[in-house]
Amino acid sequence: MMEVFNDLIKEKMYKYEHESGLNVFVMPKKGFIKQYAMFATHYGSNDREFIIPGESEPTHVPDGIAHFLEHKMFEEESGSVFEEFSKNGASANAYTNFTTTAYLFSCTDNFYSNLKLLLDFVQRPYFTDENVEKEKGIIAQEIRMYDDDPSWRLFFNMLGGLYRQHPVKIDIAGTIESISRIDKDILYKCYNTFYHPSNMVLFAVGDVDVDKVAEIVNDSVKTEKRNGEIKRIYPDEPTKINKNYVEQKMSVSMPLFNIGFKDNDIGYGGKRLLKKDITTQICLEILAGRSSDLYEKLYNDGLIDTTFDVEYVGEVDHGYSIIGGQSVDPEAVKKALIAKISSINKVDDGDFYRIKKKILGRFVKSFNSVESIAHNFISYYMKDINILDFTSVIEDITPDDVLNRFKTHFNEDNCVLSVVKP
Amino acid sequence: MSIIKENIASGIELYVNKLNKFKTVTINVYISNKLSDETAKFALLPSVLRRGSFSFKTYKDITKHLEDLYGATFAYSVYKKGERQIAQFKMEIVDSTYLKEDILEESVKFISDILLNPLISNDGFEQTYVQQEKEKQKNIINSRVNEKTKYAVERCIEEMCKDEDYAIYELGNVDDVDKIDEKNLYEYYKKAIKRLPIDIFVVGNVDVDDVKEFFNKYFKIERTSVDVIPDTPILRKIDKVKYVEDKLDVTQGKLTLGYRTNVNPWDEEYFSLLVLSGVLGGGPFSKLFMNVRERESLAYYAQTRLERFKGLMLIMSGIEIENYEKALEIIQKQVEEIKSGNISDYEFDSAVKALITSFNSIKDSGTQLADFYLSQKLSHTNYSIDDFISKVKKVTINDIVDVSKKLQLDTVYFMTKK
Repeated sequence: MMEVFNDLIKEKMYKYEHESGLNVFVMPKKGFIKQYAMFATHYGSNDREFIIPGESEPTHVPDGIAHFLEHKMFEEESGSVFEEFSKNGASANAYTNFTTTAYLFSCTDNFYSNLKLLLDFVQRPYFTDENVEKEKGIIAQEIRMYDDDPSWRLFFNMLGGLYRQHPVKIDIAGTIESISRIDKDILYKCYNTFYHPSNMVLFAVGDVDVDKVAEIVNDSVKTEKRNGEIKRIYPDEPTKINKNYVEQKMSVSMPLFNIGFKDNDIGYGGKRLLKKDITTQICLEILAGRSSDLYEKLYNDGLIDTTFDVEYVGEVDHGYSIIGGQSVDPEAVKKALIAKISSINKVDDGDFYRIKKKILGRFVKSFNSVESIAHNFISYYMKDINILDFTSVIEDITPDDVLNRFKTHFNEDNCVLSVVKP
Repeated sequence: MSIIKENIASGIELYVNKLNKFKTVTINVYISNKLSDETAKFALLPSVLRRGSFSFKTYKDITKHLEDLYGATFAYSVYKKGERQIAQFKMEIVDSTYLKEDILEESVKFISDILLNPLISNDGFEQTYVQQEKEKQKNIINSRVNEKTKYAVERCIEEMCKDEDYAIYELGNVDDVDKIDEKNLYEYYKKAIKRLPIDIFVVGNVDVDDVKEFFNKYFKIERTSVDVIPDTPILRKIDKVKYVEDKLDVTQGKLTLGYRTNVNPWDEEYFSLLVLSGVLGGGPFSKLFMNVRERESLAYYAQTRLERFKGLMLIMSGIEIENYEKALEIIQKQVEEIKSGNISDYEFDSAVKALITSFNSIKDSGTQLADFYLSQKLSHTNYSIDDFISKVKKVTINDIVDVSKKLQLDTVYFMTKK
């Protein structure tokens, strides 16, 4: 067990590598009642094409399959695994995003038997023609629910404007048509490719015993070695955006908008990505955060309200900034934003240090809840980032870094406006 | 868990729970009112106060100050518990253990500045702030339609409680917002801050005496008499089920059923009702999940929600529009199953255990703790979380069947496509 300690937030984390290649992390939180564990695989909706270890030809799969697989993992020959968790008073769940499928449970009792259940069911697929067909109806309703969700449509329309080839522009759950092509054989194929322990991670947080976690991992995780690597095939994405304006009509009361900036400084993870991530967050706060001149002006002009927000999403192979909210005139917001960006030629020290303090405070705060710790951990892990490096990386960032990032990332050429209109 | 209570002034109660496991200190201030024709006005107050105070004149000044306090968050929300409208002001600061300075006093001072020393000119609030926040409030009221899942439930409740105050939307209506100006709002504010009950909950690693001292120092309000917010009427007899349909531009139908529970928040039967709601639609073990979703593949979600302070139980689901009849039948059948005692040990035990887990989980969140204490106060019960757990443990299947007899279907609401 390797130990990592962060002095500023006074948290410790233990790391252990199982012989299968599974990485296990434990963060003990004394005094917390809730325990939380996540078992995640580095497999998401972006993985539409890949070469299975030992094969030579690429496999193409229907859109939405990673998410479909996630749903089906809960079904067992004996019934539903939810039943076992429910008997322990635990609640189990899962989610799929572009890069990750994660299974999780939270409980206040029986942690170790829940952990065993989690490891067991994720390692035990059970797909039949019948249970695969049945799931199509449920997922169709999930897809329809998102079709009626203006914020979700707004977001995907923005991605469609930013990307020409990258699979991130495709809905995570796929379409009713694409999921109709899913059958049990292709599910097993994807499962066998991506659910090997060496492609997975286990994270546990709460008042739990590190050695006991390792013991359960040793008892439950299969030790077969993987023969060969998965080769993931992603299309080449040009640096240029696809479209600079996307619009959809839906039943909303006033226009909703997302302004997206495509990040072309990509292709790496680790501390370098973390530094870029935080630097971009600082940029966004200085540019359009709650304490910025721009926010004040747009708010006073009645162009934005408190739904206005900024965010950066940085993955290894893609990234984007989003500035969004609702507005009577999204075009005017975009215009003001672009004008502001082109006027920036220095970073005010006062703003810089204040925003840093804010981001640091927010980081400390995130260690208040076992859920947010686990979710942040997994999301950073998939990018080869250790969450406890956050404090030292933010320390390193200078006003020059921020100015450079302004100049390279925020350009009108790589900017798209997505609008959902009444 | 020990909670220290102190009266700051007449009708202002401070509760402090010292717990050192959190990274932050949360301070929640709740101001309570009755839902009425003044609801829009009361709802507008927090957003106007948040725009500028005597010490921090603009939103930008306020935000910069919060950022300087290591990204302290200050947020407000307005919602209802029963027919009680509540304005909640929540401040969360990093525990000074992790900082180079102690920011607790500064934070209490900040909250009281926002709440008690607003920016005033010509005997009214700053006119532009009031105008802008009025527009914003109207936009929020109009944008309720955007979130279909939530809106379907709110619409069901509105139709159900048409002739009761509970139907009033927590932010009021657009016409009432239009009638507000900077002067009448300020007059209303002066009255409200003097007369409405205020509850303050502080949770975190704090020195209890410090907290008391700071609030006594900064939270000085001259108060004489304090309004009593009456308990919300719960009991109601239903003669005929209402069927309501809204046509919107949607692809999925939203089916919501509204039941009267006829159980008061302080009744012992409330605990049986909690378990009932769990068995029916409280998780993957529940009848709705098993039958509507897993057996019939009709929905992605089918679940229950209790509105404790109005005695309502809502069943919500999102379905294919042509499956309306079928889904309605299957949902109602699940309620009938409960009434006739068809509850398996698995369903029952799982519902009880899920409730115990969720009550225990409250102990890990300062905000949820504050909400729990407030709810205890509003239901005139003085239970700890552990009391809640032991009461839930005592519920039997027979208790569920008994309380199910009180359930009455009031309204079936369906959101469908144009």
